[in-house]
Amino acid sequence: MSTINWLFEVNFVIFSVFLALFLTELMGGVLLLLAYDRAKAKVLPYIVPIWEVTGTFAAFWVVTSDFAYPNMLIPVADLFGGLIVVFLILIVARNASISFAELITKRGWVDERKLYQAYAIATLLIGVVVLVALSAIVSGAGVDLSNLSFSLGSWLANPGSALYVLGAVVIAVGLAPVFYGFEELRRLTLPVTVVGVLVEAGALYLYASSFLSAYFLIPTVLTILPALLFQSRQTAPIVSHKLVFAVVAVVIVFSLSYLVYPTAFNGGITVDAWTTTGPMVGAYYVLSVVGALFVGLLMALYLAVVQRSLQARTSPSPSSASVAPNSPNP
Amino acid sequence: MSIPIVDFDRFLFAFTIGSHILIVSLSIGLAIMLCAVEFLSARSKDRYYGALARRLVRPFVVSFGIGTASGIVMAVELVNLFPGFMTLVSKTGVISIFYVEIFAFFLETVFLVVYVYYGKLFHGRYTRWLLTLPIVIGTLLSAVLIVMVNAWMNTPNGFDIGTYLATGAVTGVDPWAPFLTPSTGYEVFHVLATVPLTGIMMIGGFFAYRYHKSSNPDERTLFVKGLRITVALSLVLVVLTVISGVLQIENLYRYQPLKYAAMELNVNPGTNLPETVFGWLNGTTVVGAIQIPGLQGILSDHANVPGLSQYPSSDWPPLIIHDTFDTMVLLGVLLGLFLFGYAGLWVLKRRPFDRRFLAWGFVVFTVVTTVVMELGWMTDELGRQPWIVYNVMTVSQAASTNSDLFYPGLVIIAAYIFLVPFTFWFMARVFRSKSIEADLAGPTEGTDVNY
Repeated sequence: MSTINWLFEVNFVIFSVFLALFLTELMGGVLLLLAYDRAKAKVLPYIVPIWEVTGTFAAFWVVTSDFAYPNMLIPVADLFGGLIVVFLILIVARNASISFAELITKRGWVDERKLYQAYAIATLLIGVVVLVALSAIVSGAGVDLSNLSFSLGSWLANPGSALYVLGAVVIAVGLAPVFYGFEELRRLTLPVTVVGVLVEAGALYLYASSFLSAYFLIPTVLTILPALLFQSRQTAPIVSHKLVFAVVAVVIVFSLSYLVYPTAFNGGITVDAWTTTGPMVGAYYVLSVVGALFVGLLMALYLAVVQRSLQARTSPSPSSASVAPNSPNP
Repeated sequence: MSIPIVDFDRFLFAFTIGSHILIVSLSIGLAIMLCAVEFLSARSKDRYYGALARRLVRPFVVSFGIGTASGIVMAVELVNLFPGFMTLVSKTGVISIFYVEIFAFFLETVFLVVYVYYGKLFHGRYTRWLLTLPIVIGTLLSAVLIVMVNAWMNTPNGFDIGTYLATGAVTGVDPWAPFLTPSTGYEVFHVLATVPLTGIMMIGGFFAYRYHKSSNPDERTLFVKGLRITVALSLVLVVLTVISGVLQIENLYRYQPLKYAAMELNVNPGTNLPETVFGWLNGTTVVGAIQIPGLQGILSDHANVPGLSQYPSSDWPPLIIHDTFDTMVLLGVLLGLFLFGYAGLWVLKRRPFDRRFLAWGFVVFTVVTTVVMELGWMTDELGRQPWIVYNVMTVSQAASTNSDLFYPGLVIIAAYIFLVPFTFWFMARVFRSKSIEADLAGPTEGTDVNY
């Protein structure tokens, strides 16, 4: 049995946190597009503070990837260069639209609503770009490793590709009401989430039947479980708790690591052969441990402040009244 | 006509970083100002400082959001456009610097979020000031760490360069050495003076301009109080810029003599050479220049200075850096004189802020400061050409040849051309999005976010 490659594991944990946070934003984006007026009060108090943290985790993951896989940078630049530049344009659009939305005062043809919806569209498109890249890395669809090229046409020609993106979007639609506590959509969440998981399973099967191994049960169960628990009024508050859901989402993403480890691109490359070596391994661990403690401390502080904000909201004291409108449900 | 993709990579990154530093400079300036204003507000309980903090935080949120996006763009562009460079970076301790920078970024982000969105939970005036300190530390630390990378590019260390040049293999790696290269201290000192100076001058120029536009006495008082802080900080920073600039010349003399020779347009090495102001090289002769005899020897404090003829012309950087350097110094001197004159009038109680031409002068010198910073950056980067890592790796060796980046790259350029001016315009608007009466009446902790 092979030993654990901690370089990969650490990098994938950071990726999981980033993707989980991003998915919660994406779910909010779906709601903002479908029902802005009803979603605004529940979605924006979460998204407005958290989007900056998500961006920081994105940068965190990019840097740890550079650190962990130095030999992969040239192939990745060749393979996904075009896709990455599109991603960058969308990141600028996302940050710009939400930054402006937060502070715009004019109520003309561009207003807060349009800017928040522009943010939602940019976030959804980023999601699509990320899913295209992820599905290519998982399955090798559209990828020519010998020439280090990626073809969107070839990727689309693989029947699993469209299903892969579709399944993820359907899951996001299914779980969005759970995360944001939309009880009026309670009945829809379970069937939509189950359909999403089935579509995702179909996509993976079309890519390679070996992807549907016993490991797939973990993300399947963890994805359906929140939608299931949301059906009961007793358990719904637990799964709608932002922190609980975010932790589950991190575990779900992390449990999918078997799709890219020990081999990625559907067996095209062996990950261990690409990780850094020598003294840099030690530096990676030292910085990761120290950094994780530091970031953990900062996130604990953030959660403590959010908790205090919630307490202030529920407390009837006059001094806390002003806190209420801007206090998100953590 | 087709553009070589390597040149396009170079241009795209230069354009991105050139735009990025404009926003980041203002972001750093705003963070420092916010911290200073919160401190003064806590100490004096002056409601104008409270209102100023309330106003400054709004553009700061915008600059942070756009700066973050722009930072991610640059981080990913480095991989995409210069994968050879990033491969070397990732195999050496330079990636450790990028890694630590992420933690500085987290520090800034989390405290910004707490200060802006949850600031109302903190009632103590000094508590709110304390919340701004990690924001300033995180912001400045990010700048310091990125300059450490630049210092390593100019004076690489932390691996066996000889073996790398001979075989391409990265051996003898010391993961921590790049944190302290021979030029790190010089560069960090210089950037810690110049970048905040640029940001604070931008804010000062805005205050000077708005003071004259406003007819509201409260608002005018607020702008005068703001101007006093910006002028005081700018004076300190301009002095530090001069000191660090002189040290930086010494750094180049020691570690990048070819860049030094190009900046000074020294054709031949020699003693007691004249200071060549502007001019250009025609063959092996300098023409169109103003020569000040003996000055270079005095300024450089070295009897013998290097010349271009000591190096093969294929290694020379573009000699335009002589002009960018001279223009930078000339404008920098004018900026210093203006600031000292402005402050002198203030000390003499001559109310410089009441003089319209001085207000416009401040605006002009805001632009001048920005130009000076960009010229300094151009001198540094162009002066290292053709190398991306000095004497180790050329830009051509580092760059991607993937032509897929061309059209999306053009879109990025177009987006920045629109985004950067719009961001500055928007920041100016949100600064005054509430009336001065509302800002004076309201608490100082936080912003009025739409949600």
